[in-house]
Amino acid sequence: MSGFFADSGRIRITDGASGSEEVVFDTEEGMPHIVGTANINNVGVDFTNLTQTQSYAFTDYCSSNTCIGFEWNFVTNYTPPNWFYDSRYVFGTWNYERTYSYFQGWTYQRVFTSGFTEYFRVYEPGFYTYDREYVTVFDACCVSDVFSYSINANESSNTVDIATLPTDEDGNTVPVDFIVVQATGSRTRNGKDPRFNQALPSTVPTKTFSFQGSVLLESSGKANGSSFMRRIMSVFVSGNKLKLTSQQSVASLARGAYDSAFPHAAEARSTYNFNFKVFFGRFKS
Amino acid sequence: MATTLSITPTRFIASSGKLDSQTRYIRRKEILPDLKFVTGKNMDVSGGGLRYVDPNGTNRDDGVYNGSFSAGAGVGIKV
Repeated sequence: MSGFFADSGRIRITDGASGSEEVVFDTEEGMPHIVGTANINNVGVDFTNLTQTQSYAFTDYCSSNTCIGFEWNFVTNYTPPNWFYDSRYVFGTWNYERTYSYFQGWTYQRVFTSGFTEYFRVYEPGFYTYDREYVTVFDACCVSDVFSYSINANESSNTVDIATLPTDEDGNTVPVDFIVVQATGSRTRNGKDPRFNQALPSTVPTKTFSFQGSVLLESSGKANGSSFMRRIMSVFVSGNKLKLTSQQSVASLARGAYDSAFPHAAEARSTYNFNFKVFFGRFKS
Repeated sequence: MATTLSITPTRFIASSGKLDSQTRYIRRKEILPDLKFVTGKNMDVSGGGLRYVDPNGTNRDDGVYNGSFSAGAGVGIKV
C-alpha cells in the first residue's frame, strides 16, 4: 500500500502495509540535496621532516684489555709542623741535712721539698712521607662519551582555503549543511619511518575515495604498539570557505640503544597531491 | 513514452520514476535515525595520538591522544 498526499507546500509519500506505512518522501522533512559542486585540483599537503636531539648519557672508560694499563703512582705527603702543649708532675723529695755543733755534735734533720706540675710547649717539626699506589690507567684512545638520541615532539597544523562556497543568483553564499568529498590523490614524496629505511604506510588508495570530515593519512608506532606519530587531513566548511587542514603530531621517541641516531629522521617528510570533487549539500532550501 | 504520473494502491510514481514510493529516499531525522552525516572535522591529533569523534559525537581515543578537541554529533538521517 502506498500513499500520496499533496497539500499546500507539502508533498508526502508513504509506502508499506496498511497500518505500518513508512514515510519515504516528505517535503516537510529535511530532504538532502546538492546545492553546488566544486572541482579542486592539485591541492598539496606537506608533512615536515622529523628532528632529533643528541643528549650526553655517560662516559665509557672501555672494557677492552688492550686499552687498560696499570702503573705505580708515587705520592709524596707533607705533614706540617705543629706546636702542642704538654705537662708533667715532678714528685716531692725528702733531703737529709747534717749539722755539726761543738756542744751537740752532729745533728740530722729531714727536709721535704713539695712536688709540682710543670707545663711546657713542644714543637714538632714538619716531615715528608713517601708512598706509592697501584692504579688503573685508561688509555685515552679508548675513552669516549656515549650519547642517546630522541625524536623531538612536534605539533604542527596548516589550514588553507581551497574553495569558496556556492552562491545564489544574488551572489549570496548558500548555507551548506554537509559536504561529501570525493578525492583522488597520490603520495608524491614517500616519507620514511625515522628508524627504518622504509616508507611510512599511507592510507591513500590508488582509487577515488570518499570521506566526510577527516582522514588519517599516515601513522607510526612504538615497539609496544602505542602511536607516536599521526598525520591527518580534514576538509570542512568554515564561514564562506571550504578549508583543508593538515595536522602532524609527533611524540618524543627515545632510541633503544646508545650512540645510535635515528638514521631517517631527515627523510620523514611526506607530500601528497589531491584532486577533490566536493558536493555541497543542504537538507532544506 | 515515460509515465508522468502513476498512482496505484501499492505504488506512486511521478516524473518518470524520479519520485517513486518504492525508492528509499534519505531525509533528515534526528529521532531514531538510521545513520548520521558527519558535517565537519571529526579527527584531531595531539601528543602523537589520535582522537576520532564518531558520528554520535563520542570521543574515540587511541590511548595516546592528550588534546581537548571536541566535535558535535552528525546529523541524523532516515532512510
